[in-house]
Amino acid sequence: MRIKSWIALTRVSIMDFMQFRLSAFVMLIGNIIYLIVIYNLWKAIYASVDNATINGMSFNDTMIYLVLASAQFTFMEAYLVWMMSRSIQSGKIVLDLLKPVPYSQYLLFGLEGGNICAFVVTFIPTFIIVEIITGGYIHIGINILFYLVAATLGMLINFAIDFFVGTICLYTQSTWGINIMKEVVVLFLSGATVPLAFFPETLRKIVMFFPFHAIYNTPLTFLTKGPELSLAESFIMVGEQAAWAIVLIILGKIFWKLSERVITVNGG
Amino acid sequence: MKRLGFYISIYRKIIIQDIKSKMSYRSDFIISMIGMILTDISELAAFYIMFLNFPSVCGWSYHEMLFLYGFSLVALTPLQCLFDNNWQLRHYVYEGDFIKYCFRPINVFFYYISEDFDTKGMGQFFVGMGTIIYAWYKLKLPVTFVNIAALIVALVAASLFMVAIMNIAAASCFFLTNSGYIMVTMNKFRDYAKYPVTIFPIFFRIIFTFIIPIAFIAYFPSLVILRPQEIPFLTWFSPVYGIIFFYISYKIWMFGASKYSGTGS
Repeated sequence: MRIKSWIALTRVSIMDFMQFRLSAFVMLIGNIIYLIVIYNLWKAIYASVDNATINGMSFNDTMIYLVLASAQFTFMEAYLVWMMSRSIQSGKIVLDLLKPVPYSQYLLFGLEGGNICAFVVTFIPTFIIVEIITGGYIHIGINILFYLVAATLGMLINFAIDFFVGTICLYTQSTWGINIMKEVVVLFLSGATVPLAFFPETLRKIVMFFPFHAIYNTPLTFLTKGPELSLAESFIMVGEQAAWAIVLIILGKIFWKLSERVITVNGG
Repeated sequence: MKRLGFYISIYRKIIIQDIKSKMSYRSDFIISMIGMILTDISELAAFYIMFLNFPSVCGWSYHEMLFLYGFSLVALTPLQCLFDNNWQLRHYVYEGDFIKYCFRPINVFFYYISEDFDTKGMGQFFVGMGTIIYAWYKLKLPVTFVNIAALIVALVAASLFMVAIMNIAAASCFFLTNSGYIMVTMNKFRDYAKYPVTIFPIFFRIIFTFIIPIAFIAYFPSLVILRPQEIPFLTWFSPVYGIIFFYISYKIWMFGASKYSGTGS
């Protein structure tokens, strides 16, 4: 029964995405411009040092990592906190709560279709372009499979964090500030702005204790360091992600249950 | 001159009302301010980490890059503080509320833009100023009257460019129904303003200089202070070009507004 409603919600969100085809195209263009900027910037940066690899990252590694991180952002970031805070402010949330599906699932599957479409329309073309520019630098094999699993788990973790932060909006009624803070913290600590490999040793150790690196760093490692990872290592990385996903989803659920009571809607 | 005084007095009144209404949500103001500052600090941290691993970028040292970044933050403050209402324009146009601006006996663009003063943008200004001062001190740049005056002129000129880009992007909603993604894409360009334009190949240098002139937001004006011995012609040209570009964007915006026909409700 549940699965039927999940599929229905996913289908609706896919159709919703199709309405805005042009925006996906513009997103892809934006990604390509970003690719050009990043390519030139890091080429200039690597030109200023003698050795080809820094902290185990070559120019190709860094470029692929950052470009695909940005492409991953376009399909992973569903702006859930914006959505939740807007429906809290407008009172639409009351209608969503009346749906016969738990609110978290309603949100997750209502966004998933868009994520899948954005993956196909923006991530895959960007991936192909990167692969051509670097002359097939990304290893294609079992690691692609691991990437898909890791990206899905990363998306779940991102969703769980968003859901948690969105629930905070019930209390603060500040939306922009909370949103931007979450975005900055997640992007920075997940290694989407600067690859974690460049972080100073102690900072990197601290960051590894947080779930954020599992959103960007773990999936992208499968693409940049694909052939160097053993099967056991790969399973440990994915397992860690799965553990984080479960913990965060449970925490989010508990927090939401406790907070549901404070919803106040002015008028109707 | 009399008209200018009239507009200034109106502007003051509108802004005071807006700030009053924002101050009634004090916690939102504080959280937004922290969020804004945190964004800029994470960028600074990214610079710091990058330069831990690399000594320079295309001949630009750590402190010179910091100067560029601080400069771009301050130059983007007017956009954030004074022109933020452009982000709402597409909703006003789509839902038909824009009509209310057409019935006032004052300039539509002026009235629309003055309606919102984004207080949290001030956080960006302070971080930017702090970064400029720190980099200035570390680079041992001379503190002279000429230098300070040049900095102020350069900052004012630089601020016009991004405002003009966003004006045009926002005005596109008069011609298309949804301009949100155009604004988001254009807005991304400001992240590239903090890099010296010389890192790009010639084709993109031309685009970033003449078509989407983000090189004028930090790179060209900063050269006056950072590399006074090798100032290119374009740097001197930038205040004039800024005013021209801003005027064009204003004309496009007003042309769009004149095409606006309402939704009939």
